This record gives sequence, C-alpha cells and structure tokens, in this order.
Amino acid sequence: MAAETELADAITKAAQFIGAGIAMGFGAIGPGVGEGFAAGKACEGISRRPEEQSLITRTMLVGQAVSESTGIYSLVVAILLIFVV
Amino acid sequence: MDINITPEPPYRPFPGMEGESDILNLGFNMPTIFFSWFIIGLLAVVSFAVYRKLRAKPTRLQLLLELIVDAFDNLTQSSLGKRGRKYLAFVGTIFLFVWLSNIIGIIPGFEEPTRDLNTPLGLMILVIIVAHASGIRVKGLRKYIREYFEPGFKIKGRWIPNPFIAPLNIVGEIGKAISLPFRLFGNIFGGAIIIVVLSHLLLFVGLPPFLMFFFGLFVGTIQAFVFAMLAMTYTAVAIAD
Repeated sequence: MAAETELADAITKAAQFIGAGIAMGFGAIGPGVGEGFAAGKACEGISRRPEEQSLITRTMLVGQAVSESTGIYSLVVAILLIFVV
Repeated sequence: MDINITPEPPYRPFPGMEGESDILNLGFNMPTIFFSWFIIGLLAVVSFAVYRKLRAKPTRLQLLLELIVDAFDNLTQSSLGKRGRKYLAFVGTIFLFVWLSNIIGIIPGFEEPTRDLNTPLGLMILVIIVAHASGIRVKGLRKYIREYFEPGFKIKGRWIPNPFIAPLNIVGEIGKAISLPFRLFGNIFGGAIIIVVLSHLLLFVGLPPFLMFFFGLFVGTIQAFVFAMLAMTYTAVAIAD
C-alpha cells in the first residue's frame, strides 16, 4: 500500500515538472516572436523618422508588455504547478 | 541540490521582520509591509525636503526630481490632453513607488515588496478604481454603462444596445485587471528565481552581480515604467469619448 502511494506521489511530481516545463516552453514562443516583431517594426519606424524615437520606444514598450501577458500567464501556471500543487 | 526559492537575506538590517506574523488571525508578510513603508517614507521625506527649499538655481536632488516630474508631465499631457495635470501625481507616484520597489532588491538584505503578489494586487485595485471612477465622472454613469454595449445595432438611426457584446467587454476588463499585477509580479519573481537558480549553478562565481543588475535595474525600471504607462492608458481609455 505504502509503495503504491509512493509511486503515485512520484508520478504526480514528475507530471508537475513536465507540465511546468511544457507550459513555460510553449508559452514563451508567442511572446518571444511577438515582442521581436514589435521591436523590429519599432527599429524600422525609428530609422524612417529618427525624431520620433522617444514616442516610438514608449509605444513599443507598452505594446510589448501587453503582448507579454500570455508568457506571464504561463509563468504563473508553471510556478503554481511546481510550488503549489 | 537544495534551492530555497525565497531565500532569507543573509542578514536583516532592521529588527522585527521575522517573516509572517499573526495579528488578529491575519497573516502579515512583515518584510513586504516594512519595505513598502520604508519606500513610502523615503519618497515622502525626500520630496518634502526638496519641496521646502525650492530654488531657482537647483541643487542636484531638485534637478533629479524636476527631471522626473517634467518627464511625467509631458507623458500625461500627451496622452490625457488637458486633463493630464490632474493625473500627473497619480501616475508619477505609482511609477516612483513601483520603481523603487523593484530596484531596492539589489541592496543586500533588502527584499522587493513587488516580489509579493499582494503589493501588485493592491496597486491594481487602486488603478482600476481610479480608471473607472474617472470614467464615470467624466462621461457620466449613463454613457459609462452604454460603453459596455458598444458596438450596438443601428436600426433606422436609433441606437440599440447589443446584449451579446457586454459579457465580452466585461471579461476584457477583468482580463486587463488580472494581467496588470501578474505582469509585474511575474517579472520580478521570475527574475528572483533565475538569480537564485543560476547563482547556485555557478556557485556564486562571477555572474550573479550582473544578473542582479539586469533583473533588478533593467527589468525593474522597464516594468515600473510599463505599470505606470498602463495605469495611465487604462485611465485614458476610460475617459476617452
């Protein structure tokens, strides 16, 4: 009986870590691509109109932060899986 | 390998901060409360001391504060228009508080209040209340509620509210409110985890100070700026016609 509980605990633990890894890994794809795209477009904009640099940088940062939300959600899910479940 | 995720700082510079305490059966996270009030006190004392002795030929500290106030004055005026001055103190204070909260972690023994989820959650409640209250005040309750049913139907020039779009708008508002604190918390807490894990892997040789500077100063500054900007943007969206 004790061995079975131990096995179940071990499987749960392994599933937690695998789930956290998958959540973080796949969740990081979207924000990575999206933020890189935003930064590239901002570079293009700055090269076209260097005098608007501060406004473009500000807008880029806010947009990147918003598109980062999904990555942050997956980070929270991963943290919950590892430390709380 | 034994990695403690919220490591006890090697020494406590001030007494009375032994983790959680129980007053009135509520759990209080004493380091968070202590450092929050430390930052509030620091900001209040410094700005009051500078304010009392304003000079035409400014000292260095006055110049620094004038730079910050001027930058935020321009920011709020450019996105909130003529109402910007009214929200200057709100946005600027949020920025300064979150910024100092983020970068205070680079001092040994100090703990970021923003590493605790409760601090960003409290700030989120403040931001949401300010945004919606100013939306109601500027547009009036009728128009504020009407916004939730936009875009409505137009039948013979009359505007009919769309009941199917209201749940989506409400979920969107809730999503904004949830993502705001979790972004700040996730960035600061994730940075803290990476610092601890990488420091253990490298046996504390070489890299940790640079990690501290990257996650403490760089990410901390950007996230504080983003938090203040989003607070301002939410308010601007709420009061926009």
